[in-house]
Formats: sequence, C-alpha cells, structure tokens
Amino acid sequence: MKRMSERLAAAALAAGLSVGVGCVETAGTIVRTDHTTGSSEILENSTRLRDEVQVLNVNYDEVNGMKRVHITLASTKHRRLRVDYQIAWYDANGMEIDPDTKTYRNLILEGRESRTVTGVANSPAAVTSRLRVRSTSAAD
Amino acid sequence: MKTFVWMAMGVAGAALLTGCATSTPAVREVQLDRSPMTHKLEPQDVRRTVEKMAESLVSAPGVKEAVGGTRPVLDVEPLKNRTTQHVDMVSITDSLRMQLLRSGLFRFVDKSTSGTDIEFIDAQANLGLTDPKKAIKAGQQSAAQMYLTGALSEMKNQVGRTVDQYYKFSMILKDLRSGEIVWADEREIRKESTRPRVGF
Repeated sequence: MKRMSERLAAAALAAGLSVGVGCVETAGTIVRTDHTTGSSEILENSTRLRDEVQVLNVNYDEVNGMKRVHITLASTKHRRLRVDYQIAWYDANGMEIDPDTKTYRNLILEGRESRTVTGVANSPAAVTSRLRVRSTSAAD
Repeated sequence: MKTFVWMAMGVAGAALLTGCATSTPAVREVQLDRSPMTHKLEPQDVRRTVEKMAESLVSAPGVKEAVGGTRPVLDVEPLKNRTTQHVDMVSITDSLRMQLLRSGLFRFVDKSTSGTDIEFIDAQANLGLTDPKKAIKAGQQSAAQMYLTGALSEMKNQVGRTVDQYYKFSMILKDLRSGEIVWADEREIRKESTRPRVGF
C-alpha cells in the first residue's frame, strides 16, 4: 500500500511539473492616466513584476494637439531586466483607439536603473492612456 | 487493484497514441508582438518602427511650425532598402501613411496610384458611359507640398557561432517648396543570435 501511494505521489508530481512548465504569467502592471483630470492609477497584477519594476513617476503634456504621457519605470533588482510595454489610448467614451497600431516595445533595464517611456496619442480624440508592462517572457 | 492500474495505463497509452495519428503541423495564432525568433527583420520590428516614426513625426515641434495650422498635402515615398534581405518597403510606407492619416495632421496624395487615376479619368471622358457634366476632368488634383522618404540599412558581424545584426531605419520629411528638411528621425534595432553547439 505504501508503494502504491509513493507511485501516485510521483505521478502527481510529474503531472504538476508538466503543467507548470507551460505556464508563463502574462499579467503585469497597468498605469492608467486620465489626461483631463490628471489622475493616475497603478494596478499591479503580477506579484513577481511588482517586486522587479516600480512605477516612479507619471507626467503628461500635449504636443501639436496630441496628448503625450511620460512614465518613469525603475528596476529594483541588481541584474538586467527585460520587459515589454505598450501605451494604449482611449477616447472620452472609454473606447480604445486603433488598438492594433499600438505595439509592445521592449525595454532593457540595467540593475537599479530607471528609464522614462513616452507615448503619443494616435488621435486628437484620445483623453486617457493606459501603460501595460509585462515580462518579456510573456511575449510568446 | 492491479487490474485497475493496468486498465488506467491502457487508457493513458491509447490517449497518447491518438495524438500521433495526425501528421498535420500544429498551428496556432500568436501575438503580433511576439519575442524575436531570428536575427533578421521581423514583423514586430516593423510594427514598432512604424509606430515610433509616426509618434515622432506627429509630436515634432518643427512639423507644427511648418504646417502652421493647415493640413499640408503629403506623399509618402517607399523607403530605400539598402540591406541584403528582401523587405517589403511599400508595406512599411503604407502602414506609416495609415497611422499619419488617422492623426489628422496631413492630407495625402499617392503618386503610385496616378496611373489608375488616369485610366478612370480617361474612361469617364472617352467611353461615353459617364454623364459629361459629372465626369472628373484632369488637372484638378492636389499637389504634394511635402514628401516623406527614407532608407533601411544594416550592419552584420559574425564571430564564431554568434551573429550580431544591426538595422537602422532613417526617415526625413521634406518641404517641396523650400527644399528644407522639416523632420528627421531614425530607429535602431540590434539583435544577436547564437547557434547551438550541436545541430545544423
């Protein structure tokens, strides 16, 4: 009976490992900025990314009639980090503007380095921006 | 108990073998911005470049000054490919034109479709099918006031099993009347790939 339970435990461990290998966390950090009220909201959906990358600062302005946002990200680690980020834009009704034209760009952060990422709206109708940060390993 | 274990193993074996019966490759849709697979230029590189160039052009202070509150007529020339790879440069300029068009800062003409314009105007004037009062007459099209052009260049170094590849997209916006360069920007991409020690 003991031998049987050992075998079952081994099988369960193997099954658990095989499932775990394919799992990559794709949730990340979201920074939502309302350019009309100036309010910013940070949502950290990944505990791992939260411990690696911090949002230091959010600034915004307007150029040639287009909203622009500057967000400073800082690495809390001493090693090199690779993350992807995307800045999407929304109109006054909360509809995302041309979602396919805004891509995930890669960002390499050296140990304890902070970098500012910038996004310009793709339409004069944009009033809200949303920065999404994810680990590069999530870009399958 | 022993019989049950054997039965379970049999079912598991059958389930595994069923998966081997098909010979079609596994196909799935993936993200447009996936991680790089080769050191060559890939779709995500092009998408990021187009987005970066469009953002840079739209937010450049010199462009606002040159535009001066009007929406100038712009033509986008295909980028010159100075690399050894085949890259669809027309597709890149099409994407850039689309993004700039949506910004509302410019109006556009397309020199590459002028031949088709002539065919239409010629047909309307000469075939007798179109109401002569409604037929579009030649010589009324807008003239391009500015044009956008550029080039893609590369540098490649190989050391042992490692390939270091560098690409540079450079673009300029030129005012046709003054001949001045109103805006210029470039985007660099550097990739490294290492072949495994074993394998082909």
